[in-house]
Amino acid sequence: MNELIDKLGGIKAFGIFSICLFVVVFSASMILAFCLKKPFLKSMSALPLEEDSPAQAKNSNTPPL
Amino acid sequence: MMNAAAASQQQPPRPEGGTVETFKYDNRIVRAFAIATVIWGIVGMTAGLLAAVELFFPAANLNFQFITFGRLRPVHTNAVIFAFVGNGMFTGIYYSLQRLCKARMFSDKLSWLNFWGWNAIIVAAAVTLPLGLTTSKEYAELEWPIKIAIALIWVAFTVNLLGTIVKRREKHIYVAIWFYIATALTVAILHIVNGLEVPVSLWKGYSIYAGVQDALVQWWYGHNAVAFFLTTPYLGLMYYYLPKAANRPIFSYRLSIIHFWALIFIYIWAGPHHLLYTALPDWAQSLGMVFSIMLIAPSWGGMLNGLLTLRGAWDKVRQDPVLKFMVAAVTAYGMATLEGPALAIKTVNSLSHYTDWTIAHVHTGALGWNGLLTFSVLYWLIPRLYSTKLWSVRLANYHFWIALLGMMFYVIPMYVSGITEGMMWKQFTRDGFLQYPNFLETVQQILPFYRLRAIGGTLYIFGVWLMAYNLWKTARAGVFVPEEEVRAVSYRSQAGAHSEPAFTHRWLESKPILLTGLALVAVLIGGMIEIIPMIVVKENVPTISSVKPYSALELLGRDIYIREGCVGCHSQMIRPFRSETERYGEYSKAGEFVYDHPFLWGSKRTGPDLHRVGGKYPDAWHYNHLDDPRATSPGSIMPRYPWLFTQQLDTTSLTARIGALRRIGVPYPPGYESKALDELNKQAGKVVINLKVGQIKAAPDREIIAVIAYLQRLGTDIKLAPKPVAESATAPRAAN
Repeated sequence: MNELIDKLGGIKAFGIFSICLFVVVFSASMILAFCLKKPFLKSMSALPLEEDSPAQAKNSNTPPL
Repeated sequence: MMNAAAASQQQPPRPEGGTVETFKYDNRIVRAFAIATVIWGIVGMTAGLLAAVELFFPAANLNFQFITFGRLRPVHTNAVIFAFVGNGMFTGIYYSLQRLCKARMFSDKLSWLNFWGWNAIIVAAAVTLPLGLTTSKEYAELEWPIKIAIALIWVAFTVNLLGTIVKRREKHIYVAIWFYIATALTVAILHIVNGLEVPVSLWKGYSIYAGVQDALVQWWYGHNAVAFFLTTPYLGLMYYYLPKAANRPIFSYRLSIIHFWALIFIYIWAGPHHLLYTALPDWAQSLGMVFSIMLIAPSWGGMLNGLLTLRGAWDKVRQDPVLKFMVAAVTAYGMATLEGPALAIKTVNSLSHYTDWTIAHVHTGALGWNGLLTFSVLYWLIPRLYSTKLWSVRLANYHFWIALLGMMFYVIPMYVSGITEGMMWKQFTRDGFLQYPNFLETVQQILPFYRLRAIGGTLYIFGVWLMAYNLWKTARAGVFVPEEEVRAVSYRSQAGAHSEPAFTHRWLESKPILLTGLALVAVLIGGMIEIIPMIVVKENVPTISSVKPYSALELLGRDIYIREGCVGCHSQMIRPFRSETERYGEYSKAGEFVYDHPFLWGSKRTGPDLHRVGGKYPDAWHYNHLDDPRATSPGSIMPRYPWLFTQQLDTTSLTARIGALRRIGVPYPPGYESKALDELNKQAGKVVINLKVGQIKAAPDREIIAVIAYLQRLGTDIKLAPKPVAESATAPRAAN
């Protein structure tokens, strides 16, 4: 392991490698996010808003505050 | 922005004709965690208040060793982080996970093991920390048997979490759950890697890492404890409870995807910003700084996603205390995550580090983000668990304003105090001398702010009491619903209805194992790239030939220093600034700490740095100082340590301590154990003779003798050797 790291041209190369790695991760997440279709995005956004149970559906007419 | 009704209308049609299953959500476990949250919140904050009072009224511990500031501080931090926020996190997760997965928790037994195990650990912490059983590593103070228990209970939680996700009835995994997964995985990794110790006895172990390496691993852990214990689970809660309370979908699901991956990837790299200008190699400091600054982007992405969810619904915020708390919490998150990267810039950090500025920063996050969000979740949840309305909306509103006022009274004085002391430490006269060479001058200047801080803390705790009363009355007025019966289409009958295009995020959201694996890779990369070179590349820690292991007496003295929590107020790391080398002596070198298991660099200077205190004062001065700090240093806020003069030095575990340290690389010569006690007695005798010179008659077998021996050794090894070539080549640039 020690040899492998030395051959990378010194540990300072890790800085450049790290930033490049982040660019890859960030770009990948951007591409994945923007490839999603609107209906799916809307259904996922609405997931927490579905009624939890019939009891809560009944209560939702009388909010607890 | 659509409302809930519109959102549900636009959903793709749910599979029809699937098998409908009836099951029950478990509310008992949610209630148990909620009760524990409130109780531990009051306990942890009260411990913090007492610690705060002791900083301007040192006699407040009544000379009782178990509640000195040094021992109380970790009680406060552990209680607030792991007990209050920990239970709050479990409360929120156990409720939301079941609903988002449309499934009961994977195992009731694991749920209750999680609850009782976690709270038993907290009780163990509340007992052992005041007893001085501590590793001294911040937020990882608990000794090895408790650490093992934490790992086991965390595994139980993780299995329960992943098991519930696997048996879910909802095909896609909502963003809140991704954050829960990242939390479970990362906390386990951080806890295990940082917690590796070689045991000495049942309640004592030594970190397997030393000096610089220990510092890097510890702050990789410490920073990410903030990230993955105080932030990611609470972001998950925000993504569930904020839409719930506002009755509106999250502003942008796309943004949440970018927020999640960027945040978990970047956060793990930022730990070294806690060690700027220390003996940590420059490359690691620079990595930490750069990634910390980059962290602003995903953090603010998340904050804006939360706040913009309320677009068009701000009128509700005026009336609904739940939303008030949430908005203030998310805003505090935004402030803290803007300030954090700013503090990670080396120039800013040179002023802020070791000062109360850091205390202000962490309390913006703790009181604002974690505290207020926890309160909002409890106000939202308890009426639902009891199928009733909140007993008093007005009281909840009072709580909001009192909490906000308390925060202001806490945070603003700490900012003023931090900047004041930071500037006073660095101030030179026109003639080039330190303007305030006596550290106590800077302490006296900030005492009024410590008093104001205590007022802020009192207000904040008063607010929590109001909440406890309000929630108790709510529970009394309602009927607890232990289990909610619900119906949902089975996962299997849905699976045939959807076919996901591979390698899309939608596909990923239906693959929990893959999602977990990718999250694991994202959080592992940063840690590995920073830590592995630090451990395997020797040039990172240039050795200094004159640095030797501690003698037997010094070793026991060091362990007492750890027991008393001295590291909570005194750093042992002189940064390469003229203002510090003038005040304390030569700046600290990495090679000086190679036998320090654990490192004791500290993160706060309530008192002066001690790295070069060895030989600075006679033994008698230390004796008198520890007996009554104000006798030697008028105006000091350090507590008295009378028990060090009466308690006998415990040498029974000396052999085990030396053996344990040798196993992790400290080069004690073979057979040293057999003569260690003789050597200890000889060195103790010398200290006693030195004390006689100062007209002090002391017994050689008391703890104070070992503490004096340790303090007199600090930072002296380097004075015995010429400057090593490797060290001068890698010396950091001096700055003012």
